Amino acid sequence: MSEISHIVKSYEEELQNLNDNLIKMGSLVEKQLSDSMEAIIKVDKEAADNIIKNDAKINELRAIIEEQIVTVLVKRAPMAIDLRLTISTLKISSDLERIGDLAKSVAKKIKPLPHDLPEELIASLRRLGDLVQRQLKDILDAYLKKSKDLAIKIWKTDEKVDDLTHTAMNEVADFLGKDKKNLDLATHLLFVTKNIERAGDHITNIAESLFYLIEGEHIEGARPKGKDFDSNS
Amino acid sequence: MISNNIKIKTQDLNVYYGEKQALFNVNLDIHSKEVTALIGPSGCGKSTFIRCINRMNDVIDICKIDGSIKIDDKEIIDNNVDVVRLRESIGMVFQKPNPFPKSIYDNISYGPSIHGLADNKSDMDKIVENSLKKAALWEEVKDRLDEPGTGLSGGQQQRLCIARAISVNPEVILMDEPCSALDPIATAKIEELIDELKKSYTIVIVTHSMSQAVRVSQRTGFFHLGKIIEVDTTEKIFKNPGNQMTQDYITGRFG
Ligand SMILES: Nc1ncnc2c1ncn2[C@@H]1O[C@H](COP(=O)(O)OP(=O)(O)OP(=O)(O)O)[C@@H](O)[C@H]1O
Ligand SMILES: [Mg+2]
Repeated sequence: MSEISHIVKSYEEELQNLNDNLIKMGSLVEKQLSDSMEAIIKVDKEAADNIIKNDAKINELRAIIEEQIVTVLVKRAPMAIDLRLTISTLKISSDLERIGDLAKSVAKKIKPLPHDLPEELIASLRRLGDLVQRQLKDILDAYLKKSKDLAIKIWKTDEKVDDLTHTAMNEVADFLGKDKKNLDLATHLLFVTKNIERAGDHITNIAESLFYLIEGEHIEGARPKGKDFDSNS
Repeated sequence: MISNNIKIKTQDLNVYYGEKQALFNVNLDIHSKEVTALIGPSGCGKSTFIRCINRMNDVIDICKIDGSIKIDDKEIIDNNVDVVRLRESIGMVFQKPNPFPKSIYDNISYGPSIHGLADNKSDMDKIVENSLKKAALWEEVKDRLDEPGTGLSGGQQQRLCIARAISVNPEVILMDEPCSALDPIATAKIEELIDELKKSYTIVIVTHSMSQAVRVSQRTGFFHLGKIIEVDTTEKIFKNPGNQMTQDYITGRFG
């Protein structure tokens, strides 16, 4: 990163503003995700309504960020680190928006749920949710600090997300196996679990964009891959 | 031996204007049939550098050069070099279009006639036509070849100067901020022309427009205070430069 400021102060301000808006968007998404996890575990339908409503704020901010980036591109024709910053921020804002959408989808699944989730399923879901929330918090921190090492660490941790997803899904499948009457609930929970995993994938994307922003190169090696639900490992 | 794709190679090139040193140990390879862009803050020595390549600095009394410049492996910093022949093989285009105060035709035929490239009038007509065609100016001027070159628009004048440079069959074309006095359309026409010309010529262009360097060149060299700081593919320089100073310059952090 460059410690020196742009000669044109307004350019510097535009980039700073972009940075601030992304962080703001990130913290909104962070809250939506944690609220949705909390709401699903408690089956809190009122909270679910709020989450669904709040998604609009994220979309709004994302639209503002996109507009700001287009402005920077036409006004400044950014080069090198500035180009990578604008392009990566555009991609990151899109991944954040998707995570927001996934939190909203989780919230939508709360309505049809019975009032208490079976105790046996909560633990794994909570562990998965906690990990993904921590990943999101860490990646926003990494963006703020422009930390390559943190980005790599988060990128690698996605494997763990996949493993926890696998465990959670197997538990739901066992639960369904016990009694066919569990079908509806199991289907909802599989959907929720899958959504959390996908939120994790978007966090991995963000780690990749962030790495590119910092290093100007793509992160080495293939994307980490944990055990798949469908694979019979 | 110089590898096949290197047209011009400078080694430890130092240039002085009297007491003042303008270039310091410049080592730079210019690849054949490619466009090399030279960028850097005002006064860093870009013009000085390209003026060495066709020995234009010889006309400046206080200018002294040491080091080596090889074109096709032949040393040109040497008293025995035939400078007239050298300049025939190296065309130059300047910031301000500078057509001679003569007809469009004469602007082009002047070089070929002093270098004895045409045996008769019809030969010369062919050279003039071809040069203007290569410079993408023929269609606009073919019906008024006897009008003064100075009566053309700025962009047309610049293409006339490029046609003039091409008329003597050069191998290298040096351009010192060729578009800085032109509007975006005239600039686009010159850039399109440069794309076309690089198939036949080795081109070195000095530009203050970063976006122009990105658009027209395959390699870019960054000069600072008379030293070459970094030279690499244009993509690398503008996406992910290796040197912090390069990055600070191209992103507008100093200059
Ligand atoms: N004819 C000259 N006599 C004395 N000094 C000169 C002469 N030409 C250039 N210089 C000096 O040599 C240095 C390099 O100048 P040069 O014109 O090569 O820079 P440049 O990179 O082309 O700058 P610009 O971007 O402003 O055209 C400057 O310090 C300049 O003052
Ligand atoms: Mg100059």
